[in-house]
Amino acid sequence: MDVLRVSRLLSRTATFVILAVAAIAITAPFLWIFRGAFAASDAELYKLPPSFDPGNLTGANFGKVTEQVPYFRFFANSIIVSTTVTIAQLVTCSTAAYAFARLRFRGKGVLFAVVIGSLMIPIQVTIVPLFLVMSKLSLTNTLWSLILPGIFSGFGIFLLRQHFLALPYELEEAAKLDGAGHFRTFARVILPLSGPSLATLGILCFTYWWNDLLLPLVMISDTERQTLPVGLVLLAGRFSTGSLGTIAAGIALAIVPVLIVFLAAQRYIVQSIASSGLKL
Amino acid sequence: MTRRQAPPAPSRGATPLKKRGDGLAALAFLSPSIVTFVIFVLAPTLGVLYLSFYDWNLLSDGTFVGLDNFERLASDERLLRVYGSTAYMALVILAVNVVLGLLLAVLLEAKMPRLLRGFFRLSFLFPFVVSASAVALIWRFLLNKDLGLVNWFLGSLGIDRIDWLGSSVWAPISVIIVNSWKTIGFSILVYIAGLQAIPGALKEAAIVDGANAWTRFWRITFPLLSPTIFFLVVINTINSFQIFAEPRVLTQGGPGDASRTIVEYLYDRAFGDFDLGYASAIGITFMLILIVLTAIQFRFSRRWTFYE
Repeated sequence: MDVLRVSRLLSRTATFVILAVAAIAITAPFLWIFRGAFAASDAELYKLPPSFDPGNLTGANFGKVTEQVPYFRFFANSIIVSTTVTIAQLVTCSTAAYAFARLRFRGKGVLFAVVIGSLMIPIQVTIVPLFLVMSKLSLTNTLWSLILPGIFSGFGIFLLRQHFLALPYELEEAAKLDGAGHFRTFARVILPLSGPSLATLGILCFTYWWNDLLLPLVMISDTERQTLPVGLVLLAGRFSTGSLGTIAAGIALAIVPVLIVFLAAQRYIVQSIASSGLKL
Repeated sequence: MTRRQAPPAPSRGATPLKKRGDGLAALAFLSPSIVTFVIFVLAPTLGVLYLSFYDWNLLSDGTFVGLDNFERLASDERLLRVYGSTAYMALVILAVNVVLGLLLAVLLEAKMPRLLRGFFRLSFLFPFVVSASAVALIWRFLLNKDLGLVNWFLGSLGIDRIDWLGSSVWAPISVIIVNSWKTIGFSILVYIAGLQAIPGALKEAAIVDGANAWTRFWRITFPLLSPTIFFLVVINTINSFQIFAEPRVLTQGGPGDASRTIVEYLYDRAFGDFDLGYASAIGITFMLILIVLTAIQFRFSRRWTFYE
């Protein structure tokens, strides 16, 4: 009996220790960068072992960030691009997913195969002709060149279709009997029931485009029109005086908004992935 | 995981009107996706094929060169090296995500206060939403050979300084660590969702039958989780072969090509050398590899995934 209890205690301790070590390994770099953002000097940041003296903190680094690069422009550009792509993607993906989940039409199987096939053609493969398409449309070096390529999403259509398929059909029958057409059924019945999965797609889409480095690097040549990921690299590289504290402040500023969106919506992500059976 | 039931076919034959299908409505609902797909996915995909037969540097008119670009591929030793390092890094990242992710997700199922579980979950997932370039910049400091926190920590354990970013052995390992650190939270999340879908009654029955935790894991959890594992293998393969930001910011692909990925190589050929035709040929090889890898996984999945 005692052996059992000891072994249970041991396994619970081991579980907790492993989880704690993993959590520390994952959060420590963020704590370090936030601390660095308020550090008065680089020497202090590079002092080992790391120390923390609340009396020595300063907000000066944040001022330097905006002096060295047009940080708020980067920020605004990133917000514009990510929110526009997210809203557009929610519209295109949810309507297409409704068609695949609920409508009967010729060529449905073929079209859905195309959607799944598009998952295997990442933007990295088509980046060269995509650049040419954008320059043909005279859209390179504008935010449109970062927005338009993100609007179609095979993954988004797939994710929402799986979720729509799982919704009970009875509710729509009732709406149909009341004479509702497809559009009203979609807007009044399906969408209100799909909050968590729309939120999930929204968050995945927003964070992807908020974080993307390749597309702005290819499409945008004016510093003023860059987005944050490139902006951070610029801050660290070409324009910077090399101050670690300044770079840390820039990174911290970039992290905070995602942190807020993430904390607000993380409940939905877990829920929706659990309920929509995210699987192939 | 339970298999989703297909909805009943919308009243087949109930009313003669329905027989015509919903073609017009479907067109309306699909048109935003169709238009954006054609312009921004299909046209560029065909464009890659077309460009791969040309020699073009953006400035002059392109010249048709037939299969020259593909012959160059065959004799490009760097390409082979870059594919080697890409595959090495991608496979290790895949393994870390699938195996370590499963371990952490299963441990998270243990009894603990809600708040603590929430804290663990959040901290695991958080790096996933931070931009890869910010993550790579943070780690560039942490992995610095002389001043970095990581080497200081290892030093306090009596381990010699490691040249994380500058040696051809450690540079790819650094990319692996940083990318896994960033992506594992998503894998854990998907595992959590999969674990929650396993009916509790099955586990209780196994406990009543006297099965220990180990047996319960391999006989119940693992088979029921196989679709989730399969999903993660596919998604993580596709994602880890596409890494760009981490090597770009951490090591610039170096030293040599030790940590260079195929996307970086393609980017440099296209927008560094403006060798657009050749870059397109590289893009085609990359696309084919992704398709073959996914097809192989689908084929194997039938053998080991278990759908209830």
